Amino acid sequence: MSAVYKRGNAVLSANLTPMIDVTFLLIVFFVLVSQIVEVESVEMELPQPTDPLTEKFGDEQRAVINIVPRRETGQIEGYRLGTRTYPPGPEGLEALTQQLAALLEANPALSVNLRADRNTHYEFVEPALQAVANAAARVTGAEARGKVNLVVIRDEGAPP
Amino acid sequence: MTPPGRTRDSGAESGSVSGSLSGGGAPESAATARVRRDRRRRTGGPVMQLNLTAMIDVVFLLLVYFMVATEFKVGEEVYRMDLPDRRQARQERDPFDLDEEPLRISVASNSFGPRPYRLSIDGPYPQPEDFDALYEFLRQRQINELTSGGLFAADHPVIIQPTRTTSWEHAIEAFNAAARARYTNVIFAQPQ
Repeated sequence: MSAVYKRGNAVLSANLTPMIDVTFLLIVFFVLVSQIVEVESVEMELPQPTDPLTEKFGDEQRAVINIVPRRETGQIEGYRLGTRTYPPGPEGLEALTQQLAALLEANPALSVNLRADRNTHYEFVEPALQAVANAAARVTGAEARGKVNLVVIRDEGAPP
Repeated sequence: MTPPGRTRDSGAESGSVSGSLSGGGAPESAATARVRRDRRRRTGGPVMQLNLTAMIDVVFLLLVYFMVATEFKVGEEVYRMDLPDRRQARQERDPFDLDEEPLRISVASNSFGPRPYRLSIDGPYPQPEDFDALYEFLRQRQINELTSGGLFAADHPVIIQPTRTTSWEHAIEAFNAAARARYTNVIFAQPQ
């Protein structure tokens, strides 16, 4: 009697293990990326200058300050660093400066990305620049100097 | 009724045992015994399997959701700006250092007029109408091998002076004009 007869009908089945592995890895990737993007970028309309002489994001470590806009008014809700939001005003800015100083103390080469809405009034942007400069001045590290990256949107048609 | 395979296997095993007892043939090797065990397992007995179909469905739904919902920061780029060192400001300055008078560019947003902004340069210079004119002014006044009659070195301090209500977009446009003209020492001043 043949071996095929003994084993019965052939059952065709795909080995799904690698596919499930890859799919889970993709899910983990998207979960992590979506959380990072949500923390770093508050929804706003960034400035879009003409023929910008900008650079792409570097590999350096960075903190992101989002100046959370109040829609269409030029006013703001506050300054967001990481997951914390600081209200506009002296107390909020002092707390923001302390938090930035702690980050710069831990990593003197840290650069700070500043994201502000295109309609936000300059009177709310400049205190954030001041906070970074003051935080750098409080840190005793030799390399500690305020570095700010002003984030803008690059027009797709602009020359590189 | 006994299945034919089972009968054949058991018969072979009994033959093997009798053969080894009688000493008429070689003893069965471990590999041969393993082959027989595997064959027996394949031909009979229940096989326990996990049904993965539902899990794969859910996993794919999650994957599609995150792919659609994730929004990357497409097109975002940066201007790098070094802030003034506050510690140097507290130190005593050399009295024999010559100050370079910074080039101060004021920018204000307004809701009337032909343009939503107004530019002015401190000093006896032609006043630019728009950001392109500001860029041309800065480029032509720079000292380099391409221009004649330049006034300012590339590291000459340029101060962008917005008002309190200047929109960030217009402040950035003024900054961009100086950056495009290859000035390297451009900073923002406190609002007027």
